[in-house]
Amino acid sequence: MGVDSALEQTVEKILQNTEQQIVSSLKEALKSSQSMLANSQTSLEQEYDKILAEGKKEAEKLEKQIVGNADLDSRNKQLLLVEESIEKVFEKAIKKLQDTDRNNEYSKLISTLLQESIDAIGTSDITVQTNSKDKSVVQSSLSKFPGATLSSDLIECLGGIKVQSKDGTMKFDNTIDARLDRLKPLIRKDIASKFGR
Amino acid sequence: MSSQGGVQYSKIAEIKGPLVIVDGVESVAFDELVEIQTTDGQRRLGKVLEVGNGKAIVQVFEGTTGLSISGTSAKFAGKVMEMPVSEQVLGRVFDGLGRPIDGLPDPIAEKFIDINGEPMNPEQREYPRDFIQTGVSVIDGMLTLVRGQKLPIFSGSGMSHNILAAQIARQAAVVGTSDEFAVVFAAIGVQFSEAEYFKRSLEESGALKRSVLFLNLADDPAIERIITPRVALTVAEYLAYDLGMHVLVILTDMTNYAEALREISAAREEVPGRKGYPGYLYTDLSTIYERAGRLRDKKGSVTQMPILTMPSDDITHPIPDLTGYITEGQIVLGRDLFRQGVYPPVNILMSLSRIMKDGIGEGRTRADHQEISNQNYDAYSRAQEVRALAGIVGKAGLTGVDLKYLEVGDGFEKEFLTQGVDENRTIEETLGLQWKIVSLLPKNELTKVKDKFIDQYYKEQ
Amino acid sequence: MVAKGRIVWVSGPAVKADGMSDAKMYETVSVGDAKLIGEVIRLTGDVAFIQVYESTSGLKPGEPVVGTGNPLSVLLGPGIIGQIYDGIQRPLKDLAEKSGSFIGRGITTTPVDMTKKYKFTPKVKVGDTVAPGSVIGSVQETDLIEHGIMVPPDHAGGKITKIVSEGTYDLETELATADNSKTPIKMYHYWPVRKPRPYQSRYDPTIPLLTGQRVIDTFFPIAKGGTGSIPGAFGTGKTVTLHQIAKWADSQVVVYIGCGERGNEMTEVLVEFPHLKDPRTGKPLMDRTVLVANTSNMPVAAREASIYTGVTIAEYYRDMGKDVVLVADSTSRWAEALREMSGRLEEMPAEEGYPSYLASRLAEFYERAGRVRAQGSPDRDGSVTLIGAVSPSGGDFTEPVTTHTMRFIKTFWALDAKLAYSRHYPSINWMNSYSGYLADIGKWWGDNVSKDWFELRREAYGILQREDTLKEIVRLLGPEALPDEEKLILEVARMIKIGILQQNSFDDVDTYCSPQKQFKLLTLLVDFYRKGQAALREGAALADIRAMPVIATLLKARMEVKEEEIAKLDALTGTIESEFKKISGAKITA
Repeated sequence: MGVDSALEQTVEKILQNTEQQIVSSLKEALKSSQSMLANSQTSLEQEYDKILAEGKKEAEKLEKQIVGNADLDSRNKQLLLVEESIEKVFEKAIKKLQDTDRNNEYSKLISTLLQESIDAIGTSDITVQTNSKDKSVVQSSLSKFPGATLSSDLIECLGGIKVQSKDGTMKFDNTIDARLDRLKPLIRKDIASKFGR
Repeated sequence: MSSQGGVQYSKIAEIKGPLVIVDGVESVAFDELVEIQTTDGQRRLGKVLEVGNGKAIVQVFEGTTGLSISGTSAKFAGKVMEMPVSEQVLGRVFDGLGRPIDGLPDPIAEKFIDINGEPMNPEQREYPRDFIQTGVSVIDGMLTLVRGQKLPIFSGSGMSHNILAAQIARQAAVVGTSDEFAVVFAAIGVQFSEAEYFKRSLEESGALKRSVLFLNLADDPAIERIITPRVALTVAEYLAYDLGMHVLVILTDMTNYAEALREISAAREEVPGRKGYPGYLYTDLSTIYERAGRLRDKKGSVTQMPILTMPSDDITHPIPDLTGYITEGQIVLGRDLFRQGVYPPVNILMSLSRIMKDGIGEGRTRADHQEISNQNYDAYSRAQEVRALAGIVGKAGLTGVDLKYLEVGDGFEKEFLTQGVDENRTIEETLGLQWKIVSLLPKNELTKVKDKFIDQYYKEQ
Repeated sequence: MVAKGRIVWVSGPAVKADGMSDAKMYETVSVGDAKLIGEVIRLTGDVAFIQVYESTSGLKPGEPVVGTGNPLSVLLGPGIIGQIYDGIQRPLKDLAEKSGSFIGRGITTTPVDMTKKYKFTPKVKVGDTVAPGSVIGSVQETDLIEHGIMVPPDHAGGKITKIVSEGTYDLETELATADNSKTPIKMYHYWPVRKPRPYQSRYDPTIPLLTGQRVIDTFFPIAKGGTGSIPGAFGTGKTVTLHQIAKWADSQVVVYIGCGERGNEMTEVLVEFPHLKDPRTGKPLMDRTVLVANTSNMPVAAREASIYTGVTIAEYYRDMGKDVVLVADSTSRWAEALREMSGRLEEMPAEEGYPSYLASRLAEFYERAGRVRAQGSPDRDGSVTLIGAVSPSGGDFTEPVTTHTMRFIKTFWALDAKLAYSRHYPSINWMNSYSGYLADIGKWWGDNVSKDWFELRREAYGILQREDTLKEIVRLLGPEALPDEEKLILEVARMIKIGILQQNSFDDVDTYCSPQKQFKLLTLLVDFYRKGQAALREGAALADIRAMPVIATLLKARMEVKEEEIAKLDALTGTIESEFKKISGAKITA
C-alpha cells in the first residue's frame, strides 16, 4: 500500500494549495444557484396567477414541479462545479507526478511496483515496458529481478511500468496512471469532502 | 479498495454467446468483476460465472459482438461489482450498469456496495404494516399496497402498465407521516418512449429530485439487464437503510431480465427447466424480489413494484408463475377490460395483495375495509358468473337477484375501477364507492360483512 | 484422519476440491479462507464435490478445504423450542448479532444456549437399567413443553452408575452414566440429519389431527402420524392454510420449515405466534413452535438441508412421546435445490431436469412420518405428521414434484386457482382432494363427537358431488332446465360452500372451529336440505325457500357464533323448522 499512500500524499499537498481557489469558486456557485432559486420564485408567482382559474389541485402540482425542478437544476450546477474543482486538482497532481525527480526514493518505488507485478502474474519471466523518463531507473532496478527484461518499446505514461509474461498471455498494468485511475473514486471523495459536500 | 487483481489475460479459449472463456488464469475468484478489452481499446464489463482448472467463464454484460480470440483480453478486478452510492444519486439518470448518462459527473461515493446484496435475515425483518395510499381505488380498496411489500404488475404487451406504475409513483403517500420518500426506476430493455414517459411523469410532478433512474433500453446490450435491477436495488437499499427513506422501486420489464438469463444459461449449455428457462430462475428472481422489505432497527423501507409482460398473456408462463410464487401478491391487467377502454384495466379476480390484511383495518384505514373488500370480490365474481349465464339463456332467463348482480358488475367497472390518470382518490372516497356498489344488492346477499357494518354503511338503492 | 484439500473449481454453490481422499460422503467441511460450511455430496478419486451452505462469492481455486469428520448433524436438547433457525440449525438471532440485518458468512454459533440452566428432575436412580432412548429425567423447556432427557439412541445404556440429584444444571453437565458406555449422558446429543431416528414399533394412524379448519377436519382429515400434501398455484393460499395448521393443530410441538419461501412470511409467524394463544392450553403458540427458515434468496444448498434439519428435530420430540406436526413450505423449492445441485454435478436429468432420485428422496422424507412407540422406557407414544406444500409450476399437477409426492402421501388437499379467484378460501377443491384416513379416524369422531358424524359427512359430500354434475347441465342449458329439487341441491351446495367450506383465517371467530361446532354447522345445513326437499314434495315454492331469512343467519353463523356460545346453534334448528312450517303451510292452504 506504500505506493498508494505516496500518491495520496501528493494529492493532499496539491489540495492544500488549491483549496483557497476552489472554495471561492464554490462560493460563487452557491450564490448563482441561490439566485436561480429566487428567479424560479418569480416565475412561480407569474404562473400562479395564470392558472388560478384552473383550480387549486393543478396549481399545487405546478408548484411542486417548478420548485422541484429548480432545486434539481441548482444541485446539478453545484455537482458540475465540484467536478471542475476535482479535475483541477487532478491536473495539478498529474503534472506534479510527471515532474517528480527520478531519485533514490523513486527507484525504490519502481522496485516495489516490479515485485507487485511479479506476484500478481505469478511468474518472474517477464518483459517490462516503461516510458523514456523512467527507462534508466527501471533498467537498474531490474538487476534484482532475474528473468525480467526491459522491452525496447516505450509506452506513454506518467511513470511506473507495464509488465507482460514472456508468452504474452498475461499483462499487468502498474503504471502511475493505472494506479491513479483505480484510486480516483476515493481521491474524488476526499477532495469533495474538503468542500463540505 | 485493494490493489489486488488487475492482471490482464489474453489467452482466450472460446467465445460463445455472451460468454468469454479465459484460459491460463490463476487466483481468480467466483463472481469477480472483469474488464474485457477489445483490440481497439474498447472496455466492456463482465463477471466470473465459473472458475477452475485454469479456466474462467466470464459473462460479458455488454455483449461479445466484435470480440475476437486473438484480440481480446480480460482483466480481473480483484473484487465483485460495486455501485458507488451517496445522497447525490437522487435526481440522477444512469445506464443499466449504473454509469451516469445525464451529462453530469460520477456521483461522489459515500460507499461502494456489492450490487448482489446480502440476504436479509428474516429474524431482523419488520413485518410490513403501513398502508400506502396510491390514490388508485382498485389498489387502495382491494389490493392494498404496504410499505416493504413486493407487488408486481402482470401485464401484456401494449397494455397500460407503465401509465399505472407512473401514476402510483406520483401519488403514493403514506397518510399521516412526513418521512422522506424516493422512487427508484429501473428500465430493463424497454423502449425509449416508455422510459421517457416515466421520466417526464416524475419531472412534471416535481418528483424527479427524489428519484433515481436506471435505463437499459431496448437497443442496449441484453446481458446488461442482469445487472440493471441489482444496481437499482443497491441504491434503493442505501437510500432506505442508510438514509432512512421510504423507497418505491419500479422494475420494468422483468420479462426482458428473464430472457437475458435464459440466453446465458443456453450459452452455458445447462439443462433447462420449463420453456428453456434455467432451473434456477426461481432462486435467481428471488435474489431480486426478496430485496424488498423493512428492517427492525432501520427507519426506511424498500417497496417493490416489478412489472412484467406475460408472453401471450399467459399467467402460467414460467416468468409470471415463478414471480407470483415469490412476490406478495400480483396486480393482473386484463386484456378484455383494456380493450373496453377501462383504465386501470385491473382484473381483480386474478389479482391479490397478500399482506393487505395487515395494512388495513381499524386505526390504519377503516374497520370495515377487509370485509367490504371481500364482499366486492364476491359480488364481482358472482357478476361474472351471471354474465356467462346470460350468454347462454339471455337476460330474460335470469332471476331478479341475478339482474342485480349484472348491475353490480357494470357499476364496479364503470364507477369504481375506472378513474382518471391524474385522479387521486382518498381512501374514504374509495371505501364509499365500494359500499355504493354492493348497496345495489339486497341486504341478505351480503354474506361477507358483519351486520354491524351493514347497519352503518349500507344504503339501499 | 481429517481430510485436507484445496479448491480446484467453483460455480455457484458447487465446489470441487482435490486432495480429499480422506473425506467421507455427507461429511461437513470448512470451505475456503472464509471457512464456509459445506457438505460432501460426491467423491471421485481424491476429488470431493461439495455443496456449500453459504454464498461462494469471492471464493478462489487454491483456497483450503478441511473436513470435520462428522456428518451434518443437529443438536438436540432443551432450548430448541421458540427458536428460528437457518437451514443448518444456526439461530438467526445469533447470526444477526454477529453480522447485522443481513446474513454474513462463515459464522459459527451453537444451536441453543449451552449455558442456560434448567431444573432437572431425575426419573431413574442408580442401579436402574436403561436402554437407548430411555428417559432418565426431564426439564421444563417452556410452559408447554416438558422435555424428556433421553439416553441417546447411539448410546449403549446399561445400569445407571451415577445420576445427579434434582437441581438446576446447564447443558454441558454430565447428568448420568450407564455401565455399557463410557460416554456420560448430558442434556443434549447430536444426531445426523439424514438418518431417521430409531423407534420401537409403529402404529396405524387412527386419531385425527384436528386443525380447526372445517374443510380439512370434516371433509379431508389427516391422522396423527399421517402424511399430507397441499399443492397449489401461487395465490391459492397455500401459506395461509399452512399457517392455520401450524396455529391450530392439536399437537404439542410444531416444526415449521420455510424452505425457499418468502422472508416476510417467516417474520409474520415470528410476530404473530407469540401473541396467539393455543386454544387448548391458553399459552402462547410460540412456546410449542420451532421455525426453520431458509428463504428463497438464502443459499440454495442450505435449503436442501433445511428439510432434514426440521424432520430430525420433529422426530426428537416424537421420541419424548409428543405429537409433532411438521409443515414444510415448500417441498418444490427443496426439489429445485436438488435439481440445481444435480445440474452442477452434471448428472443425467430425468423429467424437467429433476434428478432421477427425486422420487426416492421424497419417499424417504415422507417415510419419516408415523405414530410410534418410542425406544426405551417408560412406554411413550408419539407421532410425526408431515405436511408438505407443493408449488407446481403453472399450477400444473402433472409436473414431477406433484406426481411423485402423490405416491407417498395419503391426504391430498388440492388448491384451486379458480376458487381462489372467486375468493373461496381455503381454496381446497372438494372434488379433487382426498383423504385416505377417513375410514380409520371415523371411529374417533363417533366416540368423541357424534355417532352420526360419518353418515352426515357422507350426505353433505353427496350434495357437493351432485352439484358438480348438475353444474355441467346448467352450463349448457341454464338453471331453468332443472327441476326444483335439483335447484335446491344447487342452493344447498352453495350454502355448504359459503357456510362450511369457506373459512376466514383473518376473522377472530372463524379462524378456528372446534369439532363440535363443525358438526353442528354441518347438521344444520343437512337438516335444512332434508326439510327443503320435504317441503318441495309438499308443494312449497322454491322461491319461498330461497327467500327464507334463516339462510343468511346460517351462512354467517361461522363468524357470528363464538365457540363459547355454540349452544346458540342448537336454537337455529328450531328457527329452520318454524320458517319451513310457515312456507309449506301457506302453500297447502292456498
